[in-house]
Amino acid sequence: MKRVLTTCEFCGCGCNFYLGVEDGKVVAIYPSVSHPISQGRLCIKGWQGHEYIHSPERLTTPLIKKGNRFREASWDEAYELIVDKFNQIRTRYENDSIAVFSSAKCTNEENYLMQKFARACLGTNNVDHCARLCHASTVVGLATTFGSGAMTNSINEIAGAEVIFIIGSNTTEQHPLIGDRVLRAIEKGAKVIVADPRETQLAKLCSLYLMHKPGSDVALLNGMMNAIIAEGLEDKEFIAERTEGFESLKETVADYTPEKSSAITSVPEEKIVEAARIYSRSKKSIIIYSMGITQHTTGVDNVMTTANLAMLTGNVGKEFTGVDPLRGQNNVQGACDVGALPNVFSGYQAVTDEKLRNKFEKAWKVTLPPQPGLTLVEMLNSALEGSLRAMYIMGENPMVSDPDINHVEKSLKALDFLVVQDIFLTETATLADVVLPGVSFAEKDGTFTSTERRIQRVRKAIEPLGDSKPDWKIITELSSRLGYRMDYSSPAEIMDEIAKLTPIYGGVSYSRLESFGLQWPCPSPDHPGTPYLHKGSFTRGLGKFSPADYKTPAELPSHDYPFVLTTGRVGFHYHTGTMTRKDWALEREYPTGYVEVNSQDAKQLGIKNGQTAKVISRRGEISLSLKSVDTIAKGVVFIPFHFAEAAANKLTAANLDPVAKIPEYKVCAVRLEKG
Amino acid sequence: MKILSKSNLVPFLEGLGLEFKVNAPLYEGQDVLFGDLDSSKLATDFIGKPRLSPKEYSFPQRERLFTFKNNGGVEIEAHLNETKRVIWGIRPCDLYGLKFLDMVYLSDYVDPYYQARRSNTILLGLNCNKAEESCFCSSIGTGPFAREAFDLLFTDLGDVFLVEIGSKAGKKLIEKQANLFTNATSKDEKQAGILEEKSKKTFKTYIDLGKVEAKIAGASSSPVWAEEAAKCILCGGCNWVCPTCYCFNIEDVTSGDKTQRVRYWDSCQLGGFTQMAAMNSRATQAERLRQRIYHKFSYNPDKYGGEIGCTGCGRCIDVCPAGINIAYILRRVAN
Repeated sequence: MKRVLTTCEFCGCGCNFYLGVEDGKVVAIYPSVSHPISQGRLCIKGWQGHEYIHSPERLTTPLIKKGNRFREASWDEAYELIVDKFNQIRTRYENDSIAVFSSAKCTNEENYLMQKFARACLGTNNVDHCARLCHASTVVGLATTFGSGAMTNSINEIAGAEVIFIIGSNTTEQHPLIGDRVLRAIEKGAKVIVADPRETQLAKLCSLYLMHKPGSDVALLNGMMNAIIAEGLEDKEFIAERTEGFESLKETVADYTPEKSSAITSVPEEKIVEAARIYSRSKKSIIIYSMGITQHTTGVDNVMTTANLAMLTGNVGKEFTGVDPLRGQNNVQGACDVGALPNVFSGYQAVTDEKLRNKFEKAWKVTLPPQPGLTLVEMLNSALEGSLRAMYIMGENPMVSDPDINHVEKSLKALDFLVVQDIFLTETATLADVVLPGVSFAEKDGTFTSTERRIQRVRKAIEPLGDSKPDWKIITELSSRLGYRMDYSSPAEIMDEIAKLTPIYGGVSYSRLESFGLQWPCPSPDHPGTPYLHKGSFTRGLGKFSPADYKTPAELPSHDYPFVLTTGRVGFHYHTGTMTRKDWALEREYPTGYVEVNSQDAKQLGIKNGQTAKVISRRGEISLSLKSVDTIAKGVVFIPFHFAEAAANKLTAANLDPVAKIPEYKVCAVRLEKG
Repeated sequence: MKILSKSNLVPFLEGLGLEFKVNAPLYEGQDVLFGDLDSSKLATDFIGKPRLSPKEYSFPQRERLFTFKNNGGVEIEAHLNETKRVIWGIRPCDLYGLKFLDMVYLSDYVDPYYQARRSNTILLGLNCNKAEESCFCSSIGTGPFAREAFDLLFTDLGDVFLVEIGSKAGKKLIEKQANLFTNATSKDEKQAGILEEKSKKTFKTYIDLGKVEAKIAGASSSPVWAEEAAKCILCGGCNWVCPTCYCFNIEDVTSGDKTQRVRYWDSCQLGGFTQMAAMNSRATQAERLRQRIYHKFSYNPDKYGGEIGCTGCGRCIDVCPAGINIAYILRRVAN
């Protein structure tokens, strides 16, 4: 048996394991004991989630749509058709009439090439990916307050914290090896505060649980800051030396007395005050947050408010203190880092900055567009309006993952031409004109960047299945045929180019990544990497207090739609289930979707546990089994979004944060009926 | 008893390689894992145990049992793996694990797939001169030095290995490369005894097995089950790494006109376990955790003449992201 050490393809924890390969097939998994995060442990997806690699449903040849059906095609045919169509569209319309979706499942090298393809080959900044749907508000919010939109800590610091404030993160289910660190901290006596509309596993194990209303985060955090200032628990020295804008924060939060905060959030006043005391009295307090904070029309406000809380108490910029957005996908951090975003090149270098643009123009030997491109949801809107004519989607499945799927479907169908590159014929791929077979992480080399900014190797263990090709190879071949040559002999060579153009990755090369990677910023070949950010001073210099007032979610419950729907994931599946639903063990745990309803509400609705409920929003309806629980607030229901046959996103609304353009997956209004 | 100088270990294993597939603990970076013999990576001085036991050479994580296709009738091709194999470097805990699996798979009902692999495998043990933090084999009585279930047993005496012969098959291996071995003296055997005593003093994890056995039947309503299970993140790791866990699931994987019947390790900690029989009969995680411990310390001994279903290797402690510790649970049970 051959063993190949690689990085897990599911969440952002960045665990390492060995793939055991026999007769060209992945047949076994061995967690790495010496890896700093895995430490010999994995979650169920890490242990069991890789059956999809050899699924008979894998795409192994390009497909071209003829009428309503696909036929198998050669690579030449597929490429020629794409080149013809893209050229036609570009001749007829403008460059910006084409857009690409990059992929947080793909490697850094592939994402880098995809944004280069959009910008240098197609001449458009219309490149985005699912970070828009998960942490766009983090990138903006933490960049505004701290100057850098990433997790400030290393994962292992969490186990050493004295206080961990978790808001909007079901950590043990969604980031299990970070959950591991929280559990270890609890064992060592750390106090954990959990704020979540659902009573998660950690909510049951923590010192203080706050069940706040979905979308009331700013009011809760402002209430805590109000109490901190009222009791003089703020860190005056830190505020004076390291921050600016404190007076405006003070002014804003003055209005959020515990009483007011309680009225908005439904959290008892004394709990708000207690949380404020616990968090601020420790000098080793860490904030962990995830989608519960970011996926709101107030996502950026929510993020900035967590940063305000950390700065107010001096709990950032030192070991065991910080603000930790947990990135969901294996490489969503990296896809952002290498510029698969419409407004920045790799390393968050703005496309609007002439000097930076010139740098890339010189390196890429091409003139680059100066205006930021469209964000993901905007692309779909433009498709429906007709200004966007073609899309090239790599490794994403918006037909399940994006809000308001009925709208997504109309938008994709309105396109003149759609190319989808994936490993399965997903719900999105079935709408494509051409489907290109990419490969799984086991079939290619590259790097993923984990949520703690750790750039790690992905190593090829088996040959690509059938005629499929590594995604980076496909992008280079397509680009070259479209007239912009891309010649790379290996992903290592692509990384060398990334390092040359990207200050935060400046010291990264494959030879340096052998022993479990490097944490950016790593500006030079002799730089050891950065375990935690903002030591001594913030990336932007002074930390900027950025106060926000509470704003209600975009869609509130009404007479016709009396429940708040909040969406999320279960620990056994990943996103749109294209991979995990091919695995017997994971599928056996959760074979389909369900709606979680407070037991009193269920009783009132007259729908019993296990019976079918119809859930209806202004945009669509789905039928699924009802799960009656006591772990969710009355008036709130939860649906996991993995399951196409009961797609939560048929119900959600594409209401966006005005700055980050992230949709409000966490709040929309629905009604329930007996199904 | 024989002596093999350390410099002769690789020649011995490579010599075996002419006739057998040889597996041994290998250094993969800083990790130690069983693998196909590669003398440049061979781990002889590691402390504790490789992350997974060599169980998978007899009972793999994923095993193709047979392939069938419909061509008028049903055409079946069985995939019995009869590779002639020698595994070197098996720790005493893992030797016991294999002895235990043999009882399960080769007694009442003989599993042909397991038998094909196991009956072609020769086991060369390696005693432990030092325990890892999580090791508690000394409490179970399976280590740190083995007494049974090996064909040959190696003890590291510093420059040389003392080699004890446990079976005819083992003896034959020595005879074939007799020039590499010398006879051991009573001094060597005495030194091994001293090392065993020293090794026993390195243990940090203990349980009182007698007390556990006496009290476990009455511990079913202990609060420990719910308390510990509350932390479980459902990774199944305790089962995946266990040298004695033998439960599996069977899946049919169809591609074109062929279907493969595949056997996978399964985990009793998952809600979907035994779903083929309608459902997991243990509704709560506390019951599932209790089942895991009871199975090993109560039901197995009842069924297999007192043999405990736990080797004391401590892997389930190391692997648990929730810090659920079998030794802690057993101490609670005992008290």
